[in-house]
Amino acid sequence: MKPDLTVRIGPLVLPNPVGTASGTFGYGSEYEELMDVDALGAIYTKAVTPEPRPGNPVPRIVETPSGMLNSIGLANPGIEAFVRDKLPELRKRRCAVIINVAGSSEADYLEVIERIEEAAGPWEAAAAGATGTVNGGRYVGAGRSGVDGYEINVSCPNVAHGGLTFGTDPAQVERLTAALRGATKRALIVKLTPNVADIGAIAKAAEAGGADAVSCINTLVGMVIDVRRKRPFLARGTGGLSGPAVRPVGVACTFKAARTVSIPVIGLGGIMCAEDALQYLLAGAVAVQVGTGTFVDPRIPLGTLRGIEAWMEAEGVASVKDIPGLLSTQA
Amino acid sequence: MLQFDAGILSNRTIAPDWKELILRWNPGAGRPEPGHFLTLRPGRGSDPLLRRPFAVASCEAGQGEGPSVSIIYQIRGPGTRLLADLLPGAMIDVLGPLGKPFPMPAMGESPILAAGGVGLGPVLYLARRLEEIRATAGAATVPGAAQATNVGAGLAPAPFVIGFRSADLVPDLPFPPGLVLCTDDGSAGFHGTPVDWMAHNAPSGAARIYACGPSPMLAAIARLASGRGWKASLSAEQWMACGVGACMGCVLPRPAAVGGASQGFLRACADGPVFELGDIDWEKA
Repeated sequence: MKPDLTVRIGPLVLPNPVGTASGTFGYGSEYEELMDVDALGAIYTKAVTPEPRPGNPVPRIVETPSGMLNSIGLANPGIEAFVRDKLPELRKRRCAVIINVAGSSEADYLEVIERIEEAAGPWEAAAAGATGTVNGGRYVGAGRSGVDGYEINVSCPNVAHGGLTFGTDPAQVERLTAALRGATKRALIVKLTPNVADIGAIAKAAEAGGADAVSCINTLVGMVIDVRRKRPFLARGTGGLSGPAVRPVGVACTFKAARTVSIPVIGLGGIMCAEDALQYLLAGAVAVQVGTGTFVDPRIPLGTLRGIEAWMEAEGVASVKDIPGLLSTQA
Repeated sequence: MLQFDAGILSNRTIAPDWKELILRWNPGAGRPEPGHFLTLRPGRGSDPLLRRPFAVASCEAGQGEGPSVSIIYQIRGPGTRLLADLLPGAMIDVLGPLGKPFPMPAMGESPILAAGGVGLGPVLYLARRLEEIRATAGAATVPGAAQATNVGAGLAPAPFVIGFRSADLVPDLPFPPGLVLCTDDGSAGFHGTPVDWMAHNAPSGAARIYACGPSPMLAAIARLASGRGWKASLSAEQWMACGVGACMGCVLPRPAAVGGASQGFLRACADGPVFELGDIDWEKA
């Protein structure tokens, strides 16, 4: 029997558990010639902020052992250009579309979500008749409205609160999540930063604020120094570490978050193949995202999906939702 | 643009630490033009992780077995060290052609080609293409011939100015006519850089410089071209992650607007790698 790959995230049912991580996949069209984008479970767009952001000075990226550092600086055309130029493109997608949202204050996040809600229409209207089949899996989402949900990037400094990162303070995460919850009925996912002492406490705060799911992990802060020039390699000094090097950290964070909250956890960080994704699913995630792996080989996201399905068939696992229960933690 | 596994036909040393890699090209990917690049995944593991971008240095139609494409690279780090060890017959993960190619010279523009370092690859491909057009001008079978009205038969080959530190570093490659060799130490050819040569020897009329090389060289060419009122199509080198326009990692700064306001960045991979003179602030690139 064909395994059930569908995954529920709040009001949304994803056709399968494999998505592409924000910031690594543009708005989907960049990879159109290289893969069947609509066969994915979801795409998570590049972060959208209220104002256009040119991004950080160069160099912005550097390779590290089994990974890379980036300091792109949330380069994006801003909410108005997003609604005008990107949303019409996203309306043509047949996979789920999750908009990643970033800002420097609570008002910034609200502005982005309210503007998108206005342009895409309310969830109820969009969801009516938007049930379909993608790649053999059932999809229940907002279809042609172009927006199935939001992923909140809380790894930004909160300018209004002394520049401390939103995502490192449970009280701020809960308050921000609650404010955004009031602005949308679409799936609301809070993307957690691993740069904290207790990711479980932050996940709990997102749940208390009304999030439908948490995704973890965002990148780890890192630095590479050019010894010859005696200066940091990246123009901004530090950047976010991603790739296979961070995978054990991501799996551990997913394990911790999944045991702390009852909402779904979406795992990401260094997934290069189905076995990597299965580590996240066994750790407690219901879905995964491929990020840096897509840069390395654009065949990885859909290859990961096929591999998960083959593993489920071989192991006799009926539903992807059953995988987290299979983990044994006894010595 | 296509991703495919390509067979390696040859991987030979052409100068100290420089190699030429020739691979079997998948015709379904489309024919790479001068200025296009491709990315290669040097190994199958996770270290080194990222694909490496290389400009196409030639594209041959081939007999029966299909087309082949070459790149010229310098062994500089772990990725190129892995590449250097690949033997003919091995397979490699290729993605391309990527980016925007060099525009053909317009009517009345005299092309001057200049290359520094491994920037040699794309300019060599362009030089070969222009020479092909010049030698067979009027033949409808030559791609780009219709636009390249100023490189036709009877005209002199375009100057193709390449610079090296010394004569012993000049790669073993078949160069088209028009070659001007420059060496920093004067051990062969013109004593000085390609920019020095162009400053003293370029024709006085309307010119379009085609160049690829390290950023200080492109900045010097941009200054020279601006001062002389020449056009310039410059191919930039930048660190890349995705190569297809998604990650925004490989950007170059646009010139500031009047009043000094930043106009942001352009992506080397998708908006370039070939840019016109005024597109980029070459001093900061």
